[in-house]
Amino acid sequence: MIRYELSAVSRALPALSRAFSSAPARHRDLLPTTNSPIVSKLSFFNSVQGNEQIPTYRILDGVGKPLEGAELPEIDEKFARLLYENMQLLPTLDNVLYNVQRQGKISFYMTAHGEEATIVGSAAALEMDDEVLGQYREMGVLLWRGFSIDQVMAQCFGNEEDTSGKGRQMPVHFSSPKHHFHTISSPLATQIPQAAGVAYALRRTPSRSSRSISACFFGEGAASEGDFHAGLMLASTIPSPTLFIARNNGFAISTPSTEQYNGDGIASRGPGYGIDTIRVDGNDILAVISAVREGRKRCFNQGRAVLIEAMSYRVGHHSTSDDSFAYRPRAEVEDKKRIDNPITRFRLFMESRGWWDADAETELKARLKADVMKAFKRAESLKRCELKELFTDVYGGQEPWNITEQREELTGLLRKYGQIWEPWRDELTKFRNNGQELIKEK
Amino acid sequence: MVSRLALSRLAPVLNVARPPSSLASRRVLRGVRPYSTSENDNTMTVRDALNLAMEEEMLRDETVFILGEEVARYNGAYKVTKGLMDKFGEKRVVDTPITEMGFAGLAVGAALQGLRPICEFMTFNFAMQAIDQIVNSAGKTYYMSGGNVPCPVVFRGPNGAAAGVAAQHSQDYAAWYGSVPGLKVVSPWSAEDCKGLLKSAIRDPNPVVFLENEMLYGVSFPMSQEAMSDNFLLPIGKCKVEREGTDVTLVGHSKMVTHCMEAAEALAKEDIKAEVINLRSIRPLDIDTIIKSVKKTNRLVIVEGGFPAFGVGSEICAQIVESEAFDYLDAPVERVTGADVPTPYATNLEALAFPDTPLIVKVAKRALYRTN
Repeated sequence: MIRYELSAVSRALPALSRAFSSAPARHRDLLPTTNSPIVSKLSFFNSVQGNEQIPTYRILDGVGKPLEGAELPEIDEKFARLLYENMQLLPTLDNVLYNVQRQGKISFYMTAHGEEATIVGSAAALEMDDEVLGQYREMGVLLWRGFSIDQVMAQCFGNEEDTSGKGRQMPVHFSSPKHHFHTISSPLATQIPQAAGVAYALRRTPSRSSRSISACFFGEGAASEGDFHAGLMLASTIPSPTLFIARNNGFAISTPSTEQYNGDGIASRGPGYGIDTIRVDGNDILAVISAVREGRKRCFNQGRAVLIEAMSYRVGHHSTSDDSFAYRPRAEVEDKKRIDNPITRFRLFMESRGWWDADAETELKARLKADVMKAFKRAESLKRCELKELFTDVYGGQEPWNITEQREELTGLLRKYGQIWEPWRDELTKFRNNGQELIKEK
Repeated sequence: MVSRLALSRLAPVLNVARPPSSLASRRVLRGVRPYSTSENDNTMTVRDALNLAMEEEMLRDETVFILGEEVARYNGAYKVTKGLMDKFGEKRVVDTPITEMGFAGLAVGAALQGLRPICEFMTFNFAMQAIDQIVNSAGKTYYMSGGNVPCPVVFRGPNGAAAGVAAQHSQDYAAWYGSVPGLKVVSPWSAEDCKGLLKSAIRDPNPVVFLENEMLYGVSFPMSQEAMSDNFLLPIGKCKVEREGTDVTLVGHSKMVTHCMEAAEALAKEDIKAEVINLRSIRPLDIDTIIKSVKKTNRLVIVEGGFPAFGVGSEICAQIVESEAFDYLDAPVERVTGADVPTPYATNLEALAFPDTPLIVKVAKRALYRTN
């Protein structure tokens, strides 16, 4: 009986049985649950590419010159300038907001220094309404999609104009349904299985199913979380068009990636889940664009997940709560900045095409700095959201009694002491309408 | 067949030939038989009520879908999703690989993107591997996104002590989820509860944790004509006075309501009129109904199948003594709960670890100063 079933399998797979017959050490039998060929030689393996490491796809070399035989993505001067301006905007914002945090004006910040090409390149290769689930360092995707500098500032300051979360989130935890950007969540990697769910929902929505994918960003450290494995497995077994973009920047806070995995990076895990995978030089924006465009296409063609591992180097500290010189030499960072700077590399490419020069560089930097400073000054002077927002959005629909009770208690206290006790009176002035909307509420 | 119907994840445990395990399997088997309600139009099992609620809501709303381990082709570990795949297809009844954090995360993502997932856990014991997705993502995203993104997902499955499955499969998570703002938590008892509350949970714009009880799946309850309607909804956040009385208030949820009702019956034989309140919702908690009852009976006994510390009973007790009902109490508030030990495996010890009817009777009488 078993023998009969097995022969049926090999009949159904003529190509496979031909392959076996050419290898004398292999036998024709198959195990009942797999098409794995039977061999008599004891042999272990520990690589998905023979004994080689998985290669890294690159288009531009370190000085912005296309590699021989490399195929450039479709790019013209206008598009290149847009890419470059967006790449330059990130460090401009990062430098200001990092210092603003150091001055104690915001509680926290995370820079994207060194990962500008990965983030802007991915954003540019995605469609504007692909659903993005970021980890936290993907502000560049939002900016690419038209999220304004004022909105960035409003979120980081948590002021009354914060469209991401009414001042309820730590800085850089953006959220913008309008820009198809899902809410950043502090617990690491929760976005990975959620991205599979988002893609599943897109597939189920007729107006989106043939147009949109979900794109999920995470670091190589987050890929150690169980959610990573669960998420990739689900997006491959309950097939849904999810593009997983691993930003391998060398560090999970202080843990170097060499201690994060014993295998061949994150890319080696893709084949384990049966999904198309590529490793790309994350400091080469053109390579990132090509890889993400192709990955996106494969998501659609196969209706399944695709994995991209973008290799870069986190030049900045993990966050403002981190001092990376405690675990890596300052010289190493300076070297990386100088030798393999994603922004410089693309600038050199543009200059070689005659699309950019020193004047344009000076003008751009001055303009971006002025824009950012203007937005910062404005954000600083704005008030916080209405005080009553403390109690909204805990639940949708009818408000449960416990929320009502707390709000009424605060209203009562404010009515009694809000104007006569100085600390409260001062505090109230920081909120829009001085908390009057809550105080006057019936 | 018997072992296949039991929790397949428990198979190694169940293969140990011991009476409790076969009891557990038989209970599941027994529950399958009365799937059709044709025997008596006025009664329905809890399992069928849950099944009907999901079917009606899936017919009503295209965005509702079910996912979980073995929910489709195998009809669910406890057959609660029986027949739904045949009716709605594999796109809306989705079998997933065995990873709670994975499929709970997928459900959350799908909800954030506009669908209304019903995420079945084989038991809530296993949902602990997904608790971050439930608490931190489902429970908080609406608030933290400033009301930008609702997360209308239902997490459901059996909760509380089962029989013969030892400590890791026998606990009640009502208090765990009940402590999280942003979640709604429902713990139904009867078939009517299950149908009306599950339908409300599916329509609710918030994440709802829906705690069923394995021991109740096969139990039949009367169904009113109203409850048979496909628009029968019970409000989340309201409890139900199952039996009126004037002498002592017994508050319970899920299977403990059965014991409270039996206890009230036993007490009635001694002319004690116990009022029984079926909590139905853990969060929001309908404390007003309990306060009203305590003001009438002056005595409160809270019964739950969970551990005593920081439990549902503790919370109700605290809210009662903080309220005006405190002045009406004629005896200390009593909590009847599971023992404060990991649930024993030995059948005799397991039986002693959870409240039963005689114990509730005894404690109620103690609250009435009828015993020592």
